[in-house]
Order: sequence, then structure tokens, then C-alpha cells
Amino acid sequence: MRAQLANHADSSIFEWLRYRHLLWVLTWRDIRVRYKQSLLGIGWAILLPFSMMLVFTFVFTRAVPASSIMAVDMPYALFAYTGLVPWTFFSMSLIGCVNSLVANRNLVTKVYFPREVFPLSCVASGLVDYCVAMTVLVAMMVYFHLTGDWVFVLHPSVLFVPVIVIVQVLMTIGLGMILAMANLFYRDVRQIAGIGVQLLMFVSAVVVPVPKDGSTLSLILSLNPLVPIIGAYRDCLIYGHLPSLGGFVYASAAALLVFVFGWLCFRRASYRFAECI
Amino acid sequence: MADEIVRFNRVSKRFRLGAGHDSIRDLLAAGMRKLVSRPANGRRKSVVRALTDVDFSVARGEALGIIGPNGAGKSTALKILAGIVQPDSGEVILRGRLAALIEVGAGFHGDLTGRENIYLNGAILGMHRAEVSRKLDDIVAFAGLERFLDTPVKRYSSGMYARLGFSIAAHVDPDVLLVDEVLSVGDAVFRLRCMDRMNELVCNGTTLILVTHNLDQMQSVCRRAIVLDRGRKVFDGSSQDAVTQYMQAISQTYMSHRGDLSGREDVPRDVELMGLTFHDGTSDGVVWTRSGKTISAKVRFSLKRPVHKLVVELNMRATVSENLVSINSGRDGVMIHAGSGVQEVRLMISGLPVRGGQYFWNVRMWDGDSGEMLCDSPFRYPLCIDDGGHATGILCIDHEWSIIRSKSTISIPKPGVSCDGDSEIRKGEHENLPVR
Repeated sequence: MRAQLANHADSSIFEWLRYRHLLWVLTWRDIRVRYKQSLLGIGWAILLPFSMMLVFTFVFTRAVPASSIMAVDMPYALFAYTGLVPWTFFSMSLIGCVNSLVANRNLVTKVYFPREVFPLSCVASGLVDYCVAMTVLVAMMVYFHLTGDWVFVLHPSVLFVPVIVIVQVLMTIGLGMILAMANLFYRDVRQIAGIGVQLLMFVSAVVVPVPKDGSTLSLILSLNPLVPIIGAYRDCLIYGHLPSLGGFVYASAAALLVFVFGWLCFRRASYRFAECI
Repeated sequence: MADEIVRFNRVSKRFRLGAGHDSIRDLLAAGMRKLVSRPANGRRKSVVRALTDVDFSVARGEALGIIGPNGAGKSTALKILAGIVQPDSGEVILRGRLAALIEVGAGFHGDLTGRENIYLNGAILGMHRAEVSRKLDDIVAFAGLERFLDTPVKRYSSGMYARLGFSIAAHVDPDVLLVDEVLSVGDAVFRLRCMDRMNELVCNGTTLILVTHNLDQMQSVCRRAIVLDRGRKVFDGSSQDAVTQYMQAISQTYMSHRGDLSGREDVPRDVELMGLTFHDGTSDGVVWTRSGKTISAKVRFSLKRPVHKLVVELNMRATVSENLVSINSGRDGVMIHAGSGVQEVRLMISGLPVRGGQYFWNVRMWDGDSGEMLCDSPFRYPLCIDDGGHATGILCIDHEWSIIRSKSTISIPKPGVSCDGDSEIRKGEHENLPVR
């Protein structure tokens, strides 16, 4: 095999096959390290979204009941948790990605392998947490079904969830790569991303529904592709029907666009990473 | 070269000096400056040429050493080869799997145990899980860390850390192994085992590229070496000649540095050293001599006042390391009564039993009565010694071989008949023998 190192940045399937194993190992490392020297370990993957759900449920239904929350036609805890689990996956992966290259400076400057492995392993380890946290949703569904607050009917639309996950993953990877790369050149990105993620949570129908009153603000907010993605989870899991086609196709196209753009930018810049970090 | 595995074709690399823009605030500030004033030329020129048109190739199974002073571009060359850094121009061709040991334990995570880090680092270096599992015992045994396998590496000593790092890399079995200055870690025994392991890998067909400042290590592993100096390849050939070339390069740097120091001295001296020259009976002022040959050293100096008990000392060093030889007239019980004016002291040395290479001498003088140091020159007087290419190691001692219990006989080829002559003879029998 003749490999031209001058063109190392050229992605090839062979290269990926060779380094696929590394992706799993780095993912395993991320998970392992995250829960090392912690009593609850992987339990935090559940506890984090669950405790946030409790906080928001308390704030929005007891402390300062908001009118928009009243519009939610399902138990608010259920609404919040179905939003918070994918949201935690998105935000934690994104924050991990932003820092992934800088945190692995040693590897970036000392060892060669496709640099995509870093943001990808962040998303992959987030996905593991996500799957763990999702099991609690099943428990909650059973609980609300038993108390009679919400009647669940098992509907084939559940099978659509993996598609939503794929769309979300593509979106996260694309954004993560752009931000990881930007943070490598300018460390400000990490701070900005932290603030941005906070803001994004409140306009992505995670804990507060997006207003649909036809105002200019609501139109702008509805452009956010995360809204149909999070909405699609609720459609499939809680309401038991497929998400509305238009919104979901729009979100998928946006995710694909972000993914392709992010990956291409990352590829192009990756040969400069070791020098600029 | 038919079976070349690595090729550098006119590779150049420049690095921008300075921090660049690390935060957007800097970028904005720089942008404003650009708008307000013309770009500062001084900033643009702060570029260092790490490599300039470097060409070399390595054959499969060859061990190549890369030596050179600090900042010569050795590590940059390895990083380009490893794909970490892109060259500005030129091309690099690599045929095969490569493992780079640019820094031991680069991928270690402190919170993970030794065992976990072996799997992690193995994967980083391109090994599969099954492969690591198969080699785990060997890796651990080589590093000598059986007892600490389940301890987080953050509790390891730096020696343990380095041993584990090298051990993993040494078990990757790549086609090409790059090793950058990692053998300065660990104790002497571990270093010897590293050398053995590298030799073993080379014997098994691994191509090795070794960057090091330890010339003995390099010579014991590599037959061929290239010398880099300020980004250019200045030598490519046998590792012994490369060492000579390298020592010349660094001695120049060293002497110019020492020159700076002596230039700053403003203390008036009673002694002005005028020179140290070597003579071997055939010619005056030799710089080359043969190992073991008797030579005389002549110190010429001028005294401003008579010194009743003058002590003269001559020291010899290989490079800038410790003294190999120190000869002191006071310790030898020799009294030198020196009047004022130009003086000469001669010292006969009956053979320097050292390996071929370049050596440097200095001169020190004391007033034996007061103990005042009169002169302490830099190691600026060179003496090159030729051992005929027989010795490696530090010393070149007289020796003779004989066989005690065997029917074999020993024959010594006549001087001048070397391998070249042999292959000429054998060429008639084997048509496709390589012609050198």
C-alpha cells in the first residue's frame, strides 16, 4: 500500500476501518474516566436529567407556574424528561466536543490518527449515557400509566426513535466538529458555547414549549431545527404517532447540512491542528 | 533503492514564531492594527525554517539514526513522517504501517490503571484489542510492572510511566518505528533492554528511525545516520562518520558560545595563553592522529610575572561531556619554574587509547604557591583521532585474537583487502550479487 503522507488529510475508508477500533477505545475511556472515583458511577447519567426534571417541575408547576406550561397537555414531568434526556445528550456531547481537541493536546501533537476521533468519541460516550437515561423514561411511562395521568398505547411509531437519534447525532457531530475546531484556534469559543447552550435550551422546547402565536419571534424560534427533533421524540414516545413530515424533514436536512459542512471544514483544517493548538 | 519504505523528497517546513491569535480579543486587536496602520514587517518575518529541502530514504529493515544539535529539525522531521504536521512543500512517501514514539505515554490517562492504559495506548498506536490481550504479559514483563498493573498511572513514578510507555510501543510490531529521544528515561538496565529490544526489532525486519542525542546508543543500533543542522541535511552516511560530523557541528556552536563568554571577561590576567598544538613527530601542529600513536602537546603562553611553582593541567573531552583525560603537572609532582615572557611547556603522551572521533582540549594553569587560577581556557583545541574504523565504544585498546580449542585457524586479511575485494571474487559465482 502506498500512502502519501503529504495528503494525510485525505479521508479514506481504509483509514477509517483501521481507526474505528480507536474510536471505541476512546469512547470507553471517556465513560470510564467520567465515572471513575465516583460513588454513583454511571448512575449520574440518569440522575443528571432526572434531577433537572425535578427542578423544572418544581419551578414551573409550583414556584412560578407559567401560562405556557399550562398549555402542555401531558404531565409536565413527562414533558420535561422527554425533553431533558435528548437535551442532556446534545448539550453534554457538544460541550465535550468543544474541549475535546484541546483536552487531548498531548495526543494531537504527539500521535497521528484522524482527528475526528476526538469529537466522535465525545458524542459516542454521550450516546451511552443517553441510552441509560432513556430506561428511566420507560419507568416513568409505566408510573404515569398506573396512576392514570396519561394512557399509553404501544404504537409502532416507537420504531421511528432510532431515526430521530441518528438525525440528532448527525447534528451534534457537525456542530461539535465546528466548535472543537474553532476552540482550538480561539479558546473563547468554549465560553461562548457554554452560554449558547444555556440559551438554546429555553428556545428548543426542552422544558418550555415554543410559543405558536404567529408572532415574528415565534417564527424565528421555529427555524431552530432542534425544536422538531425534540418534538419528534414526544410524538413517537408519548403521543404515539409519527412526527409531522415537514418539520422533521426540515430538521433532517439541516442536520445533514451541518454534519457535512462541519466534517469538511474539520478535514480541511485538521492538518494544522498540531501546530496551532 | 528498490525496497525503500520511507522517502523524503525535498521536504520543507516553516513555523511561525510567536503565539498567533489565541483569543478573539487578540484577533480583533490585530485586525484593528491592520486597519489603522500598515502591517508590521517585523512580525511577518518571525518565521523559523525548521526543515529546508530535506531528502532521504530508508530501506525496509534499515535502522536510521537522525542526529543534530537542538533545533536542527529532527523532531519536526519525525512529526512530518508520522503525519502529525504537514510539510509546506515536498512529499513524503511511506509504504506500510507506522508507529511513532514521539513521547512515551502520550495517550496515558492518569485516572486509568496500568492495564487499562495498555489497552488505550495500544489502540492509539494502532493495535487491536485482541493483539493487546495477546501481548499484555510481554508488555508488563518488559516494563517490570506486574505488581502495579491495577494501580492508576497517576500514582506511578516517572520512571514507571516511561517504562510502560516504551514497553507498549516496543510491542506494536509496526513496519516502521519512529523513536524520538525517549531512552533518556529509566535506569541503566532498562535502557540496555530498550536497546536490545530495538536491535531485535530491526533484526526481525522492522525499519527503525531513531532520533537521539545519545550517540553511543545511536551507533549501537543504527548503521546509517543523517545529520541535520539548522533544518538542512548536512550528512548522510555511516553512523560513525555522522557522529564525527555532528561533533564538528556542535563544537562550533559550543566554541562560539564559549567565545562569547570569554569576550566578556575584563579581569586582567597574568597569563596569556597563546596556543595548544599537537605534534606526532612527522608533522607539526597535527589535528589528525592515529589511535595509540605517541604525540606531544605543546602549550605556549606568555607570563606577565614570574611564577615560582606553575601548575599546568590539560583536559580532554569527547564532546561537551565530562573529561576523559586530565593530566596535571602538580599531581605528577613536576615543578615548573616559569619566568616572565613567552614560555613553552611540552607534554609527551604515549598513545591515546580512545576510539576514533573528534576530541577537544583545554588548558588550565595555577600559581602553585597562592593557589590562584591563572588560566582556564575553553575546550577549543581540537584533536581528531583515527582508529581505522575498528572500535566502537569509548576506548580503543591493543588486542589480539587467538583460538584455543578448535581446529579452526585465524587469518588476518591483508590491509586494503576488504569486503569489496571479496565481492569482486564471488561475483563470478553469483550473478546477481549486489555491486557496491
